[in-house]
Amino acid sequence: MNMRLGTLFRTVFRRELTMMTRYAVNTVSSLVSIYILFVLIFLGMQRLSSTMAGEFLNDTLEGTIIGFFVWTFTIFAYSDLSWSLTGEAQAGTLEQLYLSPFGFRRVCACTVISTFLLNLIPHTVFLVAMMATTGHWLRLDVVSLLPLMAITVMGAYGFGFALGGLALVYKRIQALFQIVQFIFLACLVVPTRIPWVRFLPLSMGNSLIYDVMVQEKRLWELPPMSVLTALGVGAVYLAIGLIVFSRCECVAKQRGLLGHY
Amino acid sequence: MEETALEVEAMSKTYRERGRQEVRAVDNVSFKVKQQEVVGLLGPNGAGKTTIIKCILGLMQPDAGEIRVFGQDVTKHYPRVLENMSAVLEGSRNLYWRLTAWENVLFFAGLSGISSRDTHDYFNYLIELFSLEDKKNVEVRKLSQGMKQKASIVCALARRTPLVFLDEPTLGLDVETSLELRQILKQLAQQEHRTIVVSSHNMDVIQDICQRVIILSGGRIMVDDHVDHLIKLFETRAYRIALDGHPSSELEEALAARFSSINMAAQKYGVEIKINLSDRDDIYLLMDMLRSHGAIIDEISHEDIDLERVFLEVVRRERDEYASGHSI
Repeated sequence: MNMRLGTLFRTVFRRELTMMTRYAVNTVSSLVSIYILFVLIFLGMQRLSSTMAGEFLNDTLEGTIIGFFVWTFTIFAYSDLSWSLTGEAQAGTLEQLYLSPFGFRRVCACTVISTFLLNLIPHTVFLVAMMATTGHWLRLDVVSLLPLMAITVMGAYGFGFALGGLALVYKRIQALFQIVQFIFLACLVVPTRIPWVRFLPLSMGNSLIYDVMVQEKRLWELPPMSVLTALGVGAVYLAIGLIVFSRCECVAKQRGLLGHY
Repeated sequence: MEETALEVEAMSKTYRERGRQEVRAVDNVSFKVKQQEVVGLLGPNGAGKTTIIKCILGLMQPDAGEIRVFGQDVTKHYPRVLENMSAVLEGSRNLYWRLTAWENVLFFAGLSGISSRDTHDYFNYLIELFSLEDKKNVEVRKLSQGMKQKASIVCALARRTPLVFLDEPTLGLDVETSLELRQILKQLAQQEHRTIVVSSHNMDVIQDICQRVIILSGGRIMVDDHVDHLIKLFETRAYRIALDGHPSSELEEALAARFSSINMAAQKYGVEIKINLSDRDDIYLLMDMLRSHGAIIDEISHEDIDLERVFLEVVRRERDEYASGHSI
């Protein structure tokens, strides 16, 4: 079974990789447009800093680079999942995925892990481009960053599953997809000093990534309570997302909506 | 003893949506399919064919009934029971259009844990059987509708499951491609020794490929019989009678009143009557009526019949029974 599970993962990973190369123009153009937005914000901040102390720009710029990186990465992860669920239903392939003897959840898990790994490549390039543009080089400690990225993105996947499930039943909910992107942005902007903000998706993880990249701390040097909080919050949002998806899946199966769009 | 591949018992499914009238899509349907049997589900649009297949595959939840695949209860053993089933649903809407035909085959086989390393030769055999070798590395979006349909079937077969469902495999295809696909499926059914359930509203598809047919109408099974037997049965009851000269209007009215399936058409020599008799003794009654009205019989013969005539007759009778039941 484990060997066959390995075949399943390789199969899904290969599909994601092939799709990524076939839709490369789409991926690159999305990142380029976000990069242009970042450059505009950076130029605005430079202009603003001429009237303020230099330290203000440095602190804000580092936060902006990390915030932008985390935001784009989570948006890609979240939208990859929710859009792929609706896209598969539209294309008619969703029902075929449900016919896997491994079960749809395992197929979905393989898809999530594959897209997470594959998204790291263009986003690392994007991060380097942001650092090169600003001249601020942040520390890239892969060993510490990878688990923190995974913890942070868990909450986003929760939203992806919930919205994907709702799309199975209600079909046209694209406007909701876009609203969630702005909710994520708000979660990254609000400072974690405020106690309840720690329980928002992405917030705590983003703060820990900042500590690794700016304060140059290693994963094991971070406050354990903070790491556990980020992990717990991510797990809770993911669990809620999976419950919503499961409920919607049942309704879709009862009404015969899996293959409809 | 032949083992059962599929067993459906008292399955019902009603679609309920707020603000809309309930639709009973499947009504207490029961049937069995033996291993290596090729069975057709025949019925007009909305007869319940796709709903039955999707309930068996676990893509829809039936309201009532039991489904067993190779003795395993589908609900209890889901999704492991899917190791025994694969399906083509709604034709070409089963493929990734940005992947090539070959990449699709590898992907869908991989979903069942089948690696291309183990079954590379078999995948190539299927690709050749469906004449896709020249197009196997072409993105599906660039293929014709017929090629897409063939690629979908190859993807389902690549999973090597003993039970295969083909839902409307020739839907949207031109006559030539449909005929070609039917021939391949017929060959495949003979060579592969798999259990195949084909749903279609196209009689030729069922008559060409299947040994047995289940005729559905309004979510219920009207007939479940072997195709050959069914055609023979209707053949013995279908007559063509040539009358010399035109019958009187009284005779025409009397025949129409007595035999609802009668069809009279004017010919150069007189009138041609085509009739399906529900009772064997009705032929004597018909002869008596013709004689008593002075009609001259030129020729009597059994009519050639195909599944289309059988199907129309079954549906007509069902409608007559329904109408008579409601008029009382």
